[in-house]
Amino acid sequence: MGASSAEVRVLSNRPVGPGCFVLTFERAGISFRTGQYLSLGIPGQREQREYSIYSGEGDPQLSVLVREVPEGLVSRRLAKLVPGDGLHVDGPFGYFTPDTALKSGGPLLFLATGTGISPFHSMVQTHPHLNYTLLHGVRTCAELALEEDFLGENLVACVSREDGAAYRGRITDRLKDLTVPPESHAFLCGNCDMIYEAFDVLRGFGIPSDRISTEVYF
Amino acid sequence: MKYYVMNLGCQMNQADSERIQSVFSQMGLERTDVESEAKVLGIVACSVRQKAIDRVYSKIHEWNLRKNEENLITFVSGCILPADEEKFSDRFDLVFSIDELTSVPDRFRQYGVVTPLAQFEGEVQAPPAPTARDRLGISSLAPFWKVTPTYSSPFEAFVPIQNGCDKFCSFCAVPYTRGREVSRTSADILAEVQALVDKGYTSITLLGQNVNSYGLDRKGDELRFAQLLEEVGKLGERTGARFWTYFTSPHPRDMNTDVLETMARYPVLAKQVHLPLQSGDDHVLIRMNRNHSMDRYRSLVADVRRVLPTATLFTDIIVGFTGETDEQFENTRKALGEFQYQMAYIAQYSPRPGAASARWDDDVPADVKRGRLEALNDLLRQTSLAYNRSLLGRTVPVLVTKADRKSGYLSGHTEGKVTVRFPSDDPSLVGTFVNLTMESAVPFSLEGRLAAPPTGTS
Repeated sequence: MGASSAEVRVLSNRPVGPGCFVLTFERAGISFRTGQYLSLGIPGQREQREYSIYSGEGDPQLSVLVREVPEGLVSRRLAKLVPGDGLHVDGPFGYFTPDTALKSGGPLLFLATGTGISPFHSMVQTHPHLNYTLLHGVRTCAELALEEDFLGENLVACVSREDGAAYRGRITDRLKDLTVPPESHAFLCGNCDMIYEAFDVLRGFGIPSDRISTEVYF
Repeated sequence: MKYYVMNLGCQMNQADSERIQSVFSQMGLERTDVESEAKVLGIVACSVRQKAIDRVYSKIHEWNLRKNEENLITFVSGCILPADEEKFSDRFDLVFSIDELTSVPDRFRQYGVVTPLAQFEGEVQAPPAPTARDRLGISSLAPFWKVTPTYSSPFEAFVPIQNGCDKFCSFCAVPYTRGREVSRTSADILAEVQALVDKGYTSITLLGQNVNSYGLDRKGDELRFAQLLEEVGKLGERTGARFWTYFTSPHPRDMNTDVLETMARYPVLAKQVHLPLQSGDDHVLIRMNRNHSMDRYRSLVADVRRVLPTATLFTDIIVGFTGETDEQFENTRKALGEFQYQMAYIAQYSPRPGAASARWDDDVPADVKRGRLEALNDLLRQTSLAYNRSLLGRTVPVLVTKADRKSGYLSGHTEGKVTVRFPSDDPSLVGTFVNLTMESAVPFSLEGRLAAPPTGTS
C-alpha cells in the first residue's frame, strides 16, 4: 500500500481533554492499516508533522488525535482548524500494525502514554472483538478524557500524579504487577522513557523482541 | 556558454548531477571543471548535513559578488529542506528539485539569455509545474528518470531505482528533502542497466534510500527488489558480460532472504552486503525509530553468513546519538566485534535540521563522541585486518578503478569492495578485471601482484 498525498477538507475538530483534540477530515481514498500514521500540514505551508491515525480502517473519514504543543509549528495551526478548512495529508506510513499478531494469535497487550492511545483506538475500532488489555498512562485525571471513546473493561487507567483512577502510579509499575504470558504480543506507544522501561520489563517476562512493537512519539 | 556543477552530497546527489549535466548538454551548454570560466554555476546540495549547507551559503555569497562584474546564472538543486529552499530562493536565480529538472530549459529561457540554450527547443519536454499530489508521485519523477545521465565514469555507474524515504528515522531529514518513497519503473531501470552493460560498464550500483523496499509503493505494478535483482542477474547470464552489481542502502527492516538467495544465484550480483546498524543497543534503535531490534539484525547477519558465506559485510554507525549512555555505546562496540564488519562508516552524531532529533538536546559532549568514534575505529581496524589477512596467498579478481597514489601502482577493489593495489603502469587496465595474488595486508587494504593476464571486461 503506497503513500499518497491529498488536500482534504476538515470535517470536525473536537476537544478531548486539556490541550488535545480529535481532528476529523475527508478520507480522499486513502487506505491504511490500523496502527499507521499520517503526515499533516496546512496547505501552502511547508512544515508537516506525523500523527497516528485514530479512526478505524473501515470508517468513512480519517481522524487523528493531536496534543497542541505550545511551541509547535504544526499542532498549534491544526488546533485552529474548523470544518471546511483545508488540510494537506501524506501517507500512510509506519509498521506499528497488529497484522502479524492477529495472525499468530496470543493475547495483545497495549501500553500507551498520553495521546499514544491513538493507534489503539484505531485498532479497537477496526477489530471490535479484539482480545486486548490496554494500560494507559497519564499524569492527571483531567487527561483521562482521552479515554472517552473507549468502552469496556479492557482499559486500565494509570494516573501518576494524583488519585482518582483505577491505578495511582506509572504504567510501567502497573506492568510489573501483571502476569504476561510469554506468547503475548506487546505494542508500546508514547514517550521514549516509558517505552525503554516497558521494553526491558517485557523482555524480562520472556517476551521476544520480535513480539514487541514500538512507536515513539517525539 | 560553460556551466559548472558542484556536488556536495552522496551517491544519490551524484546521480542527480549526472542527469542535470545531460539536460544542460542538450541545452547547448558546455561543462567545465574550472569554476571561474563558467557563466552558469550550480550546486547539487545535501541539506541533510549542516556542513554542506554552510558551504552552499559560502559559495553563493562568492558567486553573487562575482555578479557585480559579470552576468551569471546560479542554481541549486538536490536534497533541500523546505526551510532552506525558501532561503535559497533569495540568493540563487533558480532553485529546483530533481522532479522539476525537465522544466529547467524553460526556466532558463525566461532569463532571456541569448546563447544556444535560448534557442533550445530540444527533446526534453517541460511538464506542468508539479502539484502537491504530483510531488510524491511517479508521474512527477518519470521525466527526470527518463533523462539519460552523463556518467562521470566510463566503467562505473550509479543507477537510481527509487527516490525518497518513508522510514522517518529520527536522525534523518531525507523524508523532508526528497519526499516519500517512489519507485522508478522496473522497465526503466533494466533498460538503463542493459545500456550500461552494452557499453561495457563493469560496476553498476543500484541506488536508493531504502533499496530493498523498492516496489513496495507500487505493489503489483512493479517488481519487488529481489525480482529486480533477479532480472539483472538474468541480464548478466543472457549477455555473458562480466560486471558486478551492487546496491545501497538497504534497511534491515525490509531485508529478506529472497534478496540474499537471489544474490547467491548470479555471479553478476556482487557478494557484498551493506547493512546499516546505526546502533547496537535496542533502546537507541527505538529512539532512532529504526523499527527493528538487535535480535532482528542478528538474525539477518546470520542469514547473510549462511546464504552468502563469502560476502563482505559493511555497515553505518552513529556514535553519540542524543541520550546515548556509556552502556548503550558499549553495546554498539560489542556489536562491531560480533559482526566482524569489513568496513563501517562511523559518524559522530550531529543534529540535522529538519530531522526529529534536531529538536532534542545534543547532549553527548563532543569529546565523548570523539572517544567513541576512535574506539570503534580501533576495533574496525582489527576486524578489517583479520579479514584482509585471510585473503593472503589467494588469487582473487579485482576491478581496477584508478592509478594509485603510490607511483607505479594501480588500485581497485575486490568483489567485496576491499581496496587492493598492485604494481602496474598500464592505464588501460582501469575499468577491467584482473586476477591478483594477495601478498600483504593492512587494515582496509591489501597489496597484490598480477597473477594472470587481464581477463578483460567480458
